[in-house]
Amino acid sequence: MQTRKFDRYASILFALLGAAFLIESRNISESAYGSEVGPNVFPFLLGLILILLSVKLFLESFKNIQKEKKNKESLQIKRFIIILTASLLYAGFIETLGYILSTFLFLYVSFQAMERGSWIKNGIIALAFSFFVYYLFVVVLEGSLPGMPIWFS
Amino acid sequence: MGVMDFLMQGFQTAIQPHNLFFAFIGVLIGTAVGVLPGIGPMSGVALLIPVTATFTSGMDPSAAATSSIILLAGVYYGAMYGGSTTSILLNTPGESSSVVTTLDGYQMARQGRAGAALSIAAIGSFFAGIVSIIGLVLLADPLSEIALKFGPAEYFSLMLLGLAAVSGLAGGSITKAWMMTVTGLLIATIGIDAVSGVARFTYDIPVLFGGLEFLTVAVGLFALGEVFKTVLHKEEDAEKVAKVGRVIPSRADLKESAGPIARGSFLGFFIGVLPGAGATLASFFSYIAEKKISKNPEKFGKGAIAGVAAPESANNAASGGAMIPLLTLGIPGSGTTAILMGALIMYNVQPGPLLFSDHPDVAWGLIASMFIGNLMLLILNMPLVKVFAKIIETPAKYLLPIIIAISVFGVYAVQVTTFDLFLLIGFGLAGYLLAQNDYPIAPLVLGLVLGPMIENNMRRALTTSNGDFLVFVQQPISAFFLICAVLWILIPFILRLKGKNVVVNVEG
Repeated sequence: MQTRKFDRYASILFALLGAAFLIESRNISESAYGSEVGPNVFPFLLGLILILLSVKLFLESFKNIQKEKKNKESLQIKRFIIILTASLLYAGFIETLGYILSTFLFLYVSFQAMERGSWIKNGIIALAFSFFVYYLFVVVLEGSLPGMPIWFS
Repeated sequence: MGVMDFLMQGFQTAIQPHNLFFAFIGVLIGTAVGVLPGIGPMSGVALLIPVTATFTSGMDPSAAATSSIILLAGVYYGAMYGGSTTSILLNTPGESSSVVTTLDGYQMARQGRAGAALSIAAIGSFFAGIVSIIGLVLLADPLSEIALKFGPAEYFSLMLLGLAAVSGLAGGSITKAWMMTVTGLLIATIGIDAVSGVARFTYDIPVLFGGLEFLTVAVGLFALGEVFKTVLHKEEDAEKVAKVGRVIPSRADLKESAGPIARGSFLGFFIGVLPGAGATLASFFSYIAEKKISKNPEKFGKGAIAGVAAPESANNAASGGAMIPLLTLGIPGSGTTAILMGALIMYNVQPGPLLFSDHPDVAWGLIASMFIGNLMLLILNMPLVKVFAKIIETPAKYLLPIIIAISVFGVYAVQVTTFDLFLLIGFGLAGYLLAQNDYPIAPLVLGLVLGPMIENNMRRALTTSNGDFLVFVQQPISAFFLICAVLWILIPFILRLKGKNVVVNVEG
């Protein structure tokens, strides 16, 4: 997407964000014990400033003094989508599948998405990383990470 | 007790075996971070906070904070050493602060003098590191003495000045920089208000009561944002890595670069102390200055050793100088120091004038460890530069997924909620989109770190003045800071109106 177009959408989004904070800050109690200025003042002012800045950016995006430096660059959409989905699934299933299993699966899928390669080599690296981190953190440092799922062990 | 006694105590802290180990790991990883083009010092430091947090989990809070900050600061200045390696060997700067080094460094490499360029860069960085630490030692006490006299109004205005400085110099559009700052400040208001105990913007969702964790936001925006960018954009075909060759610089090289190193160190140090102007600007200015002073300026750009020595010294000196406002005033002047500050706050250690009286072991331990760390870096970088040059060849296909995995591990290990993992990925996407469209990210993180303190000081000042906003202008010191802040914004604006080109800071 062009930066100019992005700026226009972004300025609307940021203005909405500012407005949300502005409106919601009115629901916060105005006075509080120990402070002359209530907890609502700071977010209210900031929300207002953000809206004003967004308007400024919106107007600036029409002037377009900025140089458009973007050239036609082929984006690697496919591998990005795979890695993003894999990350989301990784985050979602880390507690059910356990650290080692979920990390191994995530790394293996991502390695293959980056560049299709030998499944043995990629598998070994993914497995080694998962076990190494788990061993170091849980066994050596006595931290806590989700272990193996119940049905697995 | 005099400064020397404190420094001696600092050394006693720094030479404890585990702190030596932490300093070593820090500078080692820092050099690697500097060498790898994908990861900058900001994402490197952000990525390592959770890792250090887990390593130091068994220690008592003050000692844990000391060890962590020793490691994290090591990553910061270590990256300044490593950044030169790729600039010289590959013509691709590892950090934005080493962009200028490519001009002459790569030319030297093409003439077969890569080894000399690398070693001069290391020697220059070492000298600059020592200069900036001496400056830190000398300035720390007097500055924190002055800062102790500040009241809430002065602090509020000083922090505003810090924000203005960073936003004014970051990226091309000041509007965008300010939007990022304000967004950071707004995000910081989520959670329980520290003054009144009222929950704000939490909607009874338990994970929101603590606020959005600084660590999650920083790792997401910097580390994951970078990764997503590299995944999406096809990497250019790797250029051939130049041969390192003879590492020991010749006597003529040393003689020629002594002046530039000394000048670069002092210039870099003073630029580093200024908030907003970081290592990138320092390296840039010192290169221009050397070219102006030089008897034969036509040699610059064709492999002049002064063109490597000066900027590489300057960027290292600036990274040391940037520690001064952070440690003595509690005002981070850049993105990386903002992250360091966030790390200290995580350990309940508040940077600022009280740091030297409340936690002298943290402050002086860090300063002493910087002496040791710089020595380690010199030793690491001279003979082992060939080994570090190999790191450049780490295949991206393994590196990128592993960075995601480390981010997830780090955030989960500290926060133990999947909510933060989704937040991490969300901020990663936001970081990519924002950076891609020239929205600077460093001001957002700065706003997030400074937000609670700005708000508290503002409200405390207003409470003593019974809600009168004029208190910020009536106090002379506070008014002075505010005037500086306004000038900082107005001067570049006026210069731009006159059609002058304003140098901006690319890195945070």
